[in-house]
Amino acid sequence: MTWDIGRREALAAIGGSLLLGNAARAETPQSGGTLNVGLVNDAKTYDPIYSVEFSERVVLYLVFNTLVKYAPDFSIRPELAKSWETSPDGKRIVFTLQDGVTFHDGTPFNADAVKWNIEKRLDPAVQSPQRNLLAPIIASIEILDPQRVAFNLTQPSPGIFSLLGDRPGFMVSPTAWQKLGKDFGGQPVGTGAFKFKEWVRGSQVTLEKSPNYWEKGLPYLDRIMVRDLAGSVVGLQRLLTGEIDYVGELTPSDIVPLERRTDIVLAPIKVGRWYFLQWHVNAAPFDNAKLRLAFAHAIDRGRINDITMRGKGTVSNGPTPEGLWWYDPSIRSFDYDPAKAKALLTEAGYPNGFDAVLATPQVTMFQQLDQLLQEQLAAVGIRLTLPPVAASEWYSKVVNGTTNMTPSRWTQRADPDGLLTILFDSKGFANTMKYSNPQVDALLQQARTTYDIPTRKRLYTEVQQMIVNDLPMMPLIFSAEYGALRSNVRGFEWIPDQIPRFREVWKA
Amino acid sequence: MIRPGLIIGPLAIATTMIVAILAPEISPHSPYRSSVDMLALPSPAHLLGTDDLGRDIASRVIYGARTSLTIGFGATIVAMAIGIPLGLTAGYIRGRVDTVLVALIDLFIALPGLVLALIITVMVGPTLRNLVLVLGFVMWPPIARLVRGQALAVRETVFVEAARAIGGSRAWIIRRHVWPNILPVVASQFAVSVSFAIFTSASLSFLGLGIPAPTADWGGMVRSGYDYLAINPLMSLAPGAAVTFTVMGFYVFGASFK
Amino acid sequence: MCVMVPTALLVTALLFCSVNGLLGSPAAMMLGQDASPQTIAELDAEYGFDQPLAVQYMRWLGEALRGDLGRSYTTRQSVAQAVGNSLPVTIELAVWSILLATSLAIVLNTIPTARLLITRTTAAVNVVGITVPNFMLGISLIFLFSVELQWLPTTGWAPWSDGVITHLRHIIMPVLTLSSYYFGVFSIVYRAELHAVTRQMFIRVAQAKGLGEWRVAFRHAMPNAILPVITFVGISAGQLAGGAVVTETIFSMPGIGRLFVRSIETHDFPTMLAVGMLIVVSVVLMNLLADIAYTIANPQIRFDP
Repeated sequence: MTWDIGRREALAAIGGSLLLGNAARAETPQSGGTLNVGLVNDAKTYDPIYSVEFSERVVLYLVFNTLVKYAPDFSIRPELAKSWETSPDGKRIVFTLQDGVTFHDGTPFNADAVKWNIEKRLDPAVQSPQRNLLAPIIASIEILDPQRVAFNLTQPSPGIFSLLGDRPGFMVSPTAWQKLGKDFGGQPVGTGAFKFKEWVRGSQVTLEKSPNYWEKGLPYLDRIMVRDLAGSVVGLQRLLTGEIDYVGELTPSDIVPLERRTDIVLAPIKVGRWYFLQWHVNAAPFDNAKLRLAFAHAIDRGRINDITMRGKGTVSNGPTPEGLWWYDPSIRSFDYDPAKAKALLTEAGYPNGFDAVLATPQVTMFQQLDQLLQEQLAAVGIRLTLPPVAASEWYSKVVNGTTNMTPSRWTQRADPDGLLTILFDSKGFANTMKYSNPQVDALLQQARTTYDIPTRKRLYTEVQQMIVNDLPMMPLIFSAEYGALRSNVRGFEWIPDQIPRFREVWKA
Repeated sequence: MIRPGLIIGPLAIATTMIVAILAPEISPHSPYRSSVDMLALPSPAHLLGTDDLGRDIASRVIYGARTSLTIGFGATIVAMAIGIPLGLTAGYIRGRVDTVLVALIDLFIALPGLVLALIITVMVGPTLRNLVLVLGFVMWPPIARLVRGQALAVRETVFVEAARAIGGSRAWIIRRHVWPNILPVVASQFAVSVSFAIFTSASLSFLGLGIPAPTADWGGMVRSGYDYLAINPLMSLAPGAAVTFTVMGFYVFGASFK
Repeated sequence: MCVMVPTALLVTALLFCSVNGLLGSPAAMMLGQDASPQTIAELDAEYGFDQPLAVQYMRWLGEALRGDLGRSYTTRQSVAQAVGNSLPVTIELAVWSILLATSLAIVLNTIPTARLLITRTTAAVNVVGITVPNFMLGISLIFLFSVELQWLPTTGWAPWSDGVITHLRHIIMPVLTLSSYYFGVFSIVYRAELHAVTRQMFIRVAQAKGLGEWRVAFRHAMPNAILPVITFVGISAGQLAGGAVVTETIFSMPGIGRLFVRSIETHDFPTMLAVGMLIVVSVVLMNLLADIAYTIANPQIRFDP
């Protein structure tokens, strides 16, 4: 059977090329120039096998290619794998690879390299954080010939394509990795459009055009400098003076002074980050469902959106924003109803109010969110204190249970299984809410093992509503964020994973 | 020394204290109430505009006086409680006790105050009580040194010699003769110390180690407002001016009658 | 001198104890948001975070004395290297600031003038310099010169390789911010000393000889009054450390001060420990040097019992 993603992908590719075609007809890309990217950089390593930090991927997508790539609508398109076929039982996918691709160090890219890459991630001795993403899905990798490699899966897994477009899909040069070992993270070697030239830690990364890049015509730029910023607002100042050409992660308030300027172009993200409030639900006091419901009804999500996002974000009713195929408008969370909240609080056993601690990571957005939540909850008799937590420590405290209530945020993955499983499956490794519902587990298992989109959609709608009703977390908003570019930078487009891509960018 | 200081100083101090005490009455809005009118420029409704959560800046500056004065006075009292007895003991009793105390004082005076306060606050956590204690701990050495010097000087005066000749006990002499003579200096130092405490706690807040939100705290407000200088600069400049005004008032007052 | 070693040990021990007070495993911090609890536990064991405190401290001390200050938890890079990269920035900032403050304080206060307005104005500027918190001054300067007038950049550092003018344009506001306090303090110290010096005989002689006001002031009075200011530089090293920390933070300068603040914010323990110790030791050292310089230069107090 040809699988639905393939057909969809083909359609998307045609549609996509029409759009690109339009843009291309407007202007012809010019070669040359250096792009200065401003980034609040918390990179620790550029070795994709160990990469964990969000900002590392900005460089990774330039130095490496993935087996498949994401389109601006999150659909899957070919990259190093130029086509693929799924077996009728869905447990075997044969990828046909691009020919004539070499790594920056001359090593040929072929099926051996792919097998090596995936097996390294699966190897327990390597201790890659991606192991527990791939191990449940991949049974073995088989080389059929130098250009074709087969993935034998433990169960049908449409989610694998999403993974192969992200960290587990970055193809690393086996020769270089084995030679450099721990130092590979500072001198990465891939097949990407740019070669990694230099890393002055705390200052900048220099990337240079790869002369024999396999995608003909790309890249246009000669060089990309990724410059460290202390913060987005400082970056904004440098954008205005022309020192840098791009700065991202700007809030709707940050861009207010930019709106009148003609030399700056704003690029709003298509799909926002998901912000929610979560609790530890398997222990007192938050194992009390009525208490959580009281919280839910006391929160005015619209107002939170109005104040933190200037109304430009969207109110969230569940984990999925509009624009992704597994979103459904029928999924609704609990309405703002302070009177009901007060009544529920009494029913929950707290007639005189309730005191709690809300962790406050020292990140502006969370600080603003927490203060608004505190205000809204105080109105129904829930008194919160907001002790500050160092941003780098916050998550570990959530993981080890010291913190039992905290705001949280996540970016979307290209496959619905990505976020929903790690957060809400009983065994999900990011399920810090300790939430467990066997029905949810069963539905998620069903949904992740079929390739049929309408079936998956139906299952995901059901499971999302179930999760929302169980209230291990209260969804709040999807953020509005902006990238800002100097007006002579062309070809920039957002992918819904919020990582800016610069491979196809050029300067007029 | 600076004669205008005798007028400006008390005026500034009185203003700040009155504002702090009467905060609920004179504040136009609640300092905690958010609104959808974020980062608004000054208007009749909001004389200094609003912050990033739509809260009235003027109200927050007014309530911030409470936090600053509490820490300022609290820390100074702690520092005096440690520094004065130690200084008196060293200066009056002398001998080996003095040598040890002088070494201790010199040691602590040499240490970088803000850096030390940062380290300790990070360890114990920034609560009101901890900040008062940490700052008091950082501030006592200069007070002890000052008191010691004064005690040394008074010790050699005729009054004290006479008292000793009569056979008065040390404690009695200190209480009856030494203390009243050093009181003016101590009072002046009190004001200067309050100035320093408010300055340092504002710096700590600015660096992120202040009283947690949503308490209105001047240093913390300057920090939050930094990102929005281009939109509503008063979010940073107003609390900053308040800190300056208060610090200057106490300092000038203390320095003026030294 | 013998006070220095116990101080250093005391502070490092204090810092080391802070690990106990900090909740959350450093391994979780290093691995980031997507890591699993098993990986976290494995990394904990690998780094020896499950060892007793005293053992960890001894290990750190031994390595530090050999020049190995460990690896930062956040960047995984050598702390010694990070310190080496940041130190020149802070030193340059400090040197410019002290030079500016000292020369301005001395020159402006030496200028002989009977006009009360000028002396009163300088006195007022002194007070302003001492009491305006440096973060307020810094932010006000940024607001005026970067945001409103757009004459100067908001960050305090550009490498020399970017050009001398660019470098100076970036560093001028931080230098003004940091030196303002010292201008005030040095002025006060210098004026007191100058006042004492001008009363002395040799000045009266010079004046009686009919030498010009300016000449008397700059060639005779000033050289004798400078000394306390110079020793005061050493004594104010502690304050300078604090001032540098705040200034570097406001202007996003890649120096030791901001490295320290960042390490505190992120609970990057190796960096916090190493930089904290470095700052404390340097400050104590400068105080010591100031004391020595003063004793050498002023024979009278060598015999202070």
